[in-house]
Amino acid sequence: MPPARLNITYSGRKGPIFGLALKTGILTVLTLGIYRFWAKTRLRRYYWSAIRPGGIPLEYAGEPLEKLLGFLVAVVFLAFYIGVVNLILMYFSFALLNGNVAAYVLSFAGLAPIIFFAQYRARRYILARTRWRGIRFGLEPGAWGYAWRAMLHWLLAIATIGLLWPLTTLWLEKYKVSHTYYGDQIFVQGGRRGLLFGSMKHIYYPLGLSAVVLATGVWSSNPAWFAMIMLTGPWFVYGLAYWRADSFKRMTEEKELGPMRFRADPSAWTVVGIYALGWFLINLVFSGFALFMMVPATIILGSVGPDLANFEQFEAMLAAAAPLLIFAYFAIFLGYRAMAHAWITLPIAAHFAETTRILNAEDLHQIAQRDRDEFAEAEGFAEALDVGAAI
Amino acid sequence: MTGAAAQTETFADLVAGDRAVLTRVGVRITPDGVQLMLPDGRPALWHWADLRRLPDQADSTVLVLGRVGDRVGRLYLRDADLQTQIRARAPRLSKRDRVMPLSRLFVWAGGAVASVAVIIFLLVPVMAAQLAVMLPAEGEKALGDVTFEQIRVALDETGLLGVPICEGRQGNAAMRAMYDRLNPTPDLPYDVRIHVLDHDMINAFALPGGRIVFFRGLIDQAENAEEIAAVLAHEIGHVVNRDPTRDALRSAGSLGVLGLLFGDFAGGTIALFLANQLINASYSQTAEATADVYAHAMLDRADVSPAALGAMFERLLEEHGDADGIVAHFMSHPKMAKRIAAAQAAVVDGRDYGAILDDDQWESLQTVCDDEGGGE
Ligand SMILES: [Zn+2]
Repeated sequence: MPPARLNITYSGRKGPIFGLALKTGILTVLTLGIYRFWAKTRLRRYYWSAIRPGGIPLEYAGEPLEKLLGFLVAVVFLAFYIGVVNLILMYFSFALLNGNVAAYVLSFAGLAPIIFFAQYRARRYILARTRWRGIRFGLEPGAWGYAWRAMLHWLLAIATIGLLWPLTTLWLEKYKVSHTYYGDQIFVQGGRRGLLFGSMKHIYYPLGLSAVVLATGVWSSNPAWFAMIMLTGPWFVYGLAYWRADSFKRMTEEKELGPMRFRADPSAWTVVGIYALGWFLINLVFSGFALFMMVPATIILGSVGPDLANFEQFEAMLAAAAPLLIFAYFAIFLGYRAMAHAWITLPIAAHFAETTRILNAEDLHQIAQRDRDEFAEAEGFAEALDVGAAI
Repeated sequence: MTGAAAQTETFADLVAGDRAVLTRVGVRITPDGVQLMLPDGRPALWHWADLRRLPDQADSTVLVLGRVGDRVGRLYLRDADLQTQIRARAPRLSKRDRVMPLSRLFVWAGGAVASVAVIIFLLVPVMAAQLAVMLPAEGEKALGDVTFEQIRVALDETGLLGVPICEGRQGNAAMRAMYDRLNPTPDLPYDVRIHVLDHDMINAFALPGGRIVFFRGLIDQAENAEEIAAVLAHEIGHVVNRDPTRDALRSAGSLGVLGLLFGDFAGGTIALFLANQLINASYSQTAEATADVYAHAMLDRADVSPAALGAMFERLLEEHGDADGIVAHFMSHPKMAKRIAAAQAAVVDGRDYGAILDDDQWESLQTVCDDEGGGE
């Protein structure tokens, strides 16, 4: 019988994830993007296996080929939708509204239900390929139900300029979680409507303060008031981290899996610290890289300096340097991606995992296996629309 | 089973996959494979050839094993000696078993290619052709305005301001005079606006809503005003036939599909591609021939020799070879020789053609990019 309380340990490390992200990134570039299905699979395997509730790692059992297949399936359907719908929307936006800002808005509105649909299907695929203790997770079909609800709740959030975002988040989480299974056991997402508003307080406060300060500043025409805005900026940044940590805590602690309950205690300051340190280190590396690239550039420019007036020679030189520039572009792109994995994504995942615990797990062994969800389309729609999970 | 085969016995965690149960099992190395001693005393043998290792695991101190034919059963091994022995003895530990037949993948790949091809080459062009004719003049102008700005920005090497429009007043007046001589207005629902862009490219193109754009490079290469007039007449032909509008709508449809295929991997280049597509627009051969016929008639009415166009192409071809720019625009068709011949055939024998501009006008057109808006 498992112990009543299971802690989550995290075994991911920065070095290996950096290497894996860099290696798979290079292969993706070299294969013109084909390898991205393999890259995503391998990164997920690493991230999943790093999370070990009760010492047993999660397993990601997705396969690259099924992702490629799903992508092809999605292309068959989406090519039609996007080609024809884009064209028609563009026609109407110019025929009726004389502008293509309208076309962008319209084509986004036309895509929105597909995007939500795709996100739900991607979640279904990912959960179906996630296991722990040999038991599969799963998400019941319900993508269109999710899509129209998401449209409605998003509209509500947009109409209230984001003030109702906590409610939108909770409602959509409830829909997703209450369709989620671990083996034969369904999850429940509890929580009353007001649950997440408290998590937004450090976003509401600085926004409110800014409004007051701006109004007073305009009214009294004393510029000193505007300096106060400088203070609300960092507060707002803290507010975003607080939202992330606190909304996670509140929603996690209202989740139920049979008799099991969850506790989470992530710290907003740790989230801020991880991002601050991560961006600082990435900037440091890029500054060093820029200095390093300056050396050959200066040497080349220095050696032909006087001839710079000769435009054709300059063009020839640019052509000669093109491979170097392309190399620099991809080095920056891939380097950034790998560093962001090592210094931001992984530490954040580690913090959230390590501060989460499972309670009342005594009856865990009674949970039985669920059937494999074949799901040929995998996360193809999300992949094609580029709205899938970041990893 | 005990005896020589049983060397070391260590423990590992097993999940069998029917319930969320973690079982502590004894593990023995045998000649045939790894033998698991289940708590109820039943032994289970995992054959060497069937053993598979889970790749890309975060915790490198644990070896996670699965086996062929068992999708969910996993063995979590911590013991380092045991790991070494298994790594040495299991022949296909790192093999990845294919989960689906490749034929299925090829079928869908074929389907995807076919569907994209049908949409890009059939459906979208047909719809674009229909919609282009239906688009009201105001809408066409708006479409042209947007694409004009996009092209100016895309062509600017600094990528910030856009290629400058040449403002020479007399030069633009000369261009206008040329247009007025050709006088196509009865055929057009909107006023044609002609711009010269200060760029080296030897090219000219038409945009939706009656915008015609010349690059300075083309004017520099022309030997006389009639050659420019011939290009202008051809572009007017495209405008009258609404070729640019059709092309812009077609690009909008097919670029969306291409963006879908390549993802954000090529996202940034899409805009550039769009601009390129419009500049080097390769319309259908019918569209080019129709524009040519229209141009010949218009030049003839304006008393300009239709042969001017052919003369210029032949010269450019000699100088630049199969270069880009306008030569590509006009030369992309294998029928080029035929078109030059057609232009020559449109010349009425023995007729004495006039000049479209006087020398002063031609000179100010050639220097249209030299002064900043002043003119005099
Ligand atoms: Zn043409």
